[in-house]
Amino acid sequence: MKYSTINYEHLGETLYEYRHESGLKCLLVRKPGYNKKSAMFGTHYGSIDNIFKVQGGDKEIEVPDGIAHFLEHKLFEQEDGNMLDKFSRLGASPNAFTSFNQTVYFFSCTDLFEENFKLLLDYVQKPWLTDENVEKEKGIIGQEIRMYEDNADWRVFFNLLDCLYVNHPVKLEIAGSVESIAKITKELLYDCYHTFYSPSNMVVVVVGDLDPDTVFSMVDEKIHFRDKGTVEKKYPEEPHHLNKDYKEQKLAVSMPLFYMGIKDNVRVTGSDIIKRRIALGIVLTEAMGRTSDLYTRLYDEGLINDSFRFEASVEQEYGFVAWGGQSPDPKKTAGIISEALQTLTTQGISQEAFDRIKRAHRGMFIRSLNSVDNIAREMMDSFFNATSYLDTGRIYEELDLDYVNRVLHEVFKGSPALSVILPQQA
Amino acid sequence: MASPAGKTTAEKLVVKNGITFYRINSDKFKTTRVDLFFVDRLQKERASGNALLPAMMKRGCKSFPSVKELELELERLYGADLDGGIIKKGEMQFIGFHMSHINDKYTFGNEKLFDECSKLLLCMLENPLVEEDGFKRSLFAQERDNLVNYIRSRVNDKMRFSFSRCIEEMCAGEPYAIPEDGTEEDALLLTPQNTYALYGEMMKTYPAYVYISGQVDDASVQRFIDAFPVSGRDGIKKVEPVCAQKEVIDVKRVDESMEISQGKLCMGFRTHVEPTSPDYFPLVVLNGILGGDPHSKLFQNVREKASLAYYAQSVIEKYKGLLVIMSGIEASNRNKAEEIILKQVEDIKKGSISQDEIKATLSSLETGMKSMQDSQGAIVDFFMSQHLTESGEDFESMIEKFKAVTIDEVVRVAQKVQLDTVYFLKPNGNNSGEGAK
Repeated sequence: MKYSTINYEHLGETLYEYRHESGLKCLLVRKPGYNKKSAMFGTHYGSIDNIFKVQGGDKEIEVPDGIAHFLEHKLFEQEDGNMLDKFSRLGASPNAFTSFNQTVYFFSCTDLFEENFKLLLDYVQKPWLTDENVEKEKGIIGQEIRMYEDNADWRVFFNLLDCLYVNHPVKLEIAGSVESIAKITKELLYDCYHTFYSPSNMVVVVVGDLDPDTVFSMVDEKIHFRDKGTVEKKYPEEPHHLNKDYKEQKLAVSMPLFYMGIKDNVRVTGSDIIKRRIALGIVLTEAMGRTSDLYTRLYDEGLINDSFRFEASVEQEYGFVAWGGQSPDPKKTAGIISEALQTLTTQGISQEAFDRIKRAHRGMFIRSLNSVDNIAREMMDSFFNATSYLDTGRIYEELDLDYVNRVLHEVFKGSPALSVILPQQA
Repeated sequence: MASPAGKTTAEKLVVKNGITFYRINSDKFKTTRVDLFFVDRLQKERASGNALLPAMMKRGCKSFPSVKELELELERLYGADLDGGIIKKGEMQFIGFHMSHINDKYTFGNEKLFDECSKLLLCMLENPLVEEDGFKRSLFAQERDNLVNYIRSRVNDKMRFSFSRCIEEMCAGEPYAIPEDGTEEDALLLTPQNTYALYGEMMKTYPAYVYISGQVDDASVQRFIDAFPVSGRDGIKKVEPVCAQKEVIDVKRVDESMEISQGKLCMGFRTHVEPTSPDYFPLVVLNGILGGDPHSKLFQNVREKASLAYYAQSVIEKYKGLLVIMSGIEASNRNKAEEIILKQVEDIKKGSISQDEIKATLSSLETGMKSMQDSQGAIVDFFMSQHLTESGEDFESMIEKFKAVTIDEVVRVAQKVQLDTVYFLKPNGNNSGEGAK
């Protein structure tokens, strides 16, 4: 059996990579001494992939919002019963998620890995859709959508994306709306399935104390599907400017919530995605982390509390930085933050701060390798971005201050948008 | 360090003035950590104060007198973590502190991080920021405000809010009704002085557990234990994991409304099973069959068959003997959902449990117990639970106890389970959804 072995000695991790004859890649990260085994089968297809050419044909279609997520729900249902149930009977804990750009099916188990793994490989290749089971799912997903409507953290985030993006589908709810999912049919779901669930658009990731020969031979045994063509997705043109700079909504919360962000208009690919994420992470920590003067001031003035957080999202198709939390006065807080960001953009980051934060963030990366589930998720995500999470250690070593300051200027010269959730009574 | 390969153990090192030190043996992790818990009885007049202690202590200590200075030190120590918080288990409150750092071999020059990181933990513990006879006033005012705001913001998460409202109604008059961080009215009574006095009580009278996990040498562990503050600890409180039995006379029904889209149904049951009782094992299995996993009766019937909900699940509170069922539903489906949920409980009482259902539940429990050993935090939580009840169980023996549970035992325990309270948080119909401008 031919596969490649990559040793990451400085991390104490080993990666095995196998390419199945269909073009499907399978990655194994071996974790000696761990009981838990985690396997994921994912497709590079998420909520933003709404316009595409159906594989093996010429027709380009635009599908209803939320269909990738709907398909994720439906794949669990097979002619001979619900897959969740079957995994559960084999002692595994199964689940799936749909993000902006991925749909991932997974399970974790400690025993009976082979049986569970074969089940996973099988059912993802075998959709079973009927008019009745598609209708039934609308009730369940309708309740999932309702649950998110009441979730203030979720709403404040999506309202921010709506401010940042004029056209890009990243602004759309992953599960769609009750109205959009009403339009979903069996036929449309099959179109999506046949387009995106093909070997070259997918990957299998396994993490645990397992032998590569065993894992990859099961892939050989179980993988039967083939590409019928290439995946052609289309995204609308996204202008550099904001859609709007402010949006507010009232919900049943005790104190206002805010989330603020800037759109990153520079697109990168491969390991540059990890590099840019790291750089933006360092910038955000220097700007508003607990060691910053800005954080100290806002906290001491009671304008933010422990719920304050920030994130850098860098993907092939979009990118943004965002931050926020609870605040009694979001507009005042946003004003102070904008001012501090302008100052930082003018002054740049010092060598001292760069070295210190880089050292801490690298430590957090090493810490993240404790978790089997986390490694699996990150390996999947980085694969679809044409890079490898385990290269993160090397990227930290190569990163220099000039690059970080360049990224700081590129991103933070953009103007921020503000999303606010207000209490109903106010 | 010696432990059979693959076996995760907690070795008792020493008991010093009511503080028990354990060493967790498992060295596959890339981090080393110390977890410390002080335990108090859950009482209305103390709960908010206890909750405020970790918040105050995280603001800095004598050697690092601000969050900024503390965090700069943590960054220097390769992104080490120092934290504190409050949890509630049964009618006990745990004030927890935690330190962790990456293993020495991942530092640039094989630096020894344990000594430096544990010094920070001890500084936070022993030398909080004080002035005159209380906590530093300016910091205290901020943290008390934060606590009050945090208590008020419970309403933000509707699932958790409806759960805790159900518990408050069900256990009204019992200590368990008190939320983990107390109540707003009690938080407002706190002063720098009385909170600092409570800090003194915690340090001197609360029983404590310390867990050291990861790749650290015996000499460093010994130095840490020797440096741990134990002086003046001579009147250690007794904190028993009580599980008051309470008969249900009438089912209590509480409906409340709010401007929300989805109704939240919470049904609270009394199980009459004590945490130390042999019936605890069948109870856990019962919960798995009822609403633990996708194979469970609630998931299958409320979600898959009736299509009424995205989630329908049950949880148990070990130390209080409660079982709570939760589901998010359309308000108009409330009666239908309640009926289907109660039918699942009745079915179990009548013995309608298939071999498949019990088998799936047992293997899911086994997977859960084995998976816990892959997380340093979960290992500590597991052993602390065992140490509280003095059960003497480890992961392997626990798995054996679960595997020995029979359908008859589940049915027998199920017959003791009584519905106590039905709480429904319903949409008031005014929610217009997107109120964006």
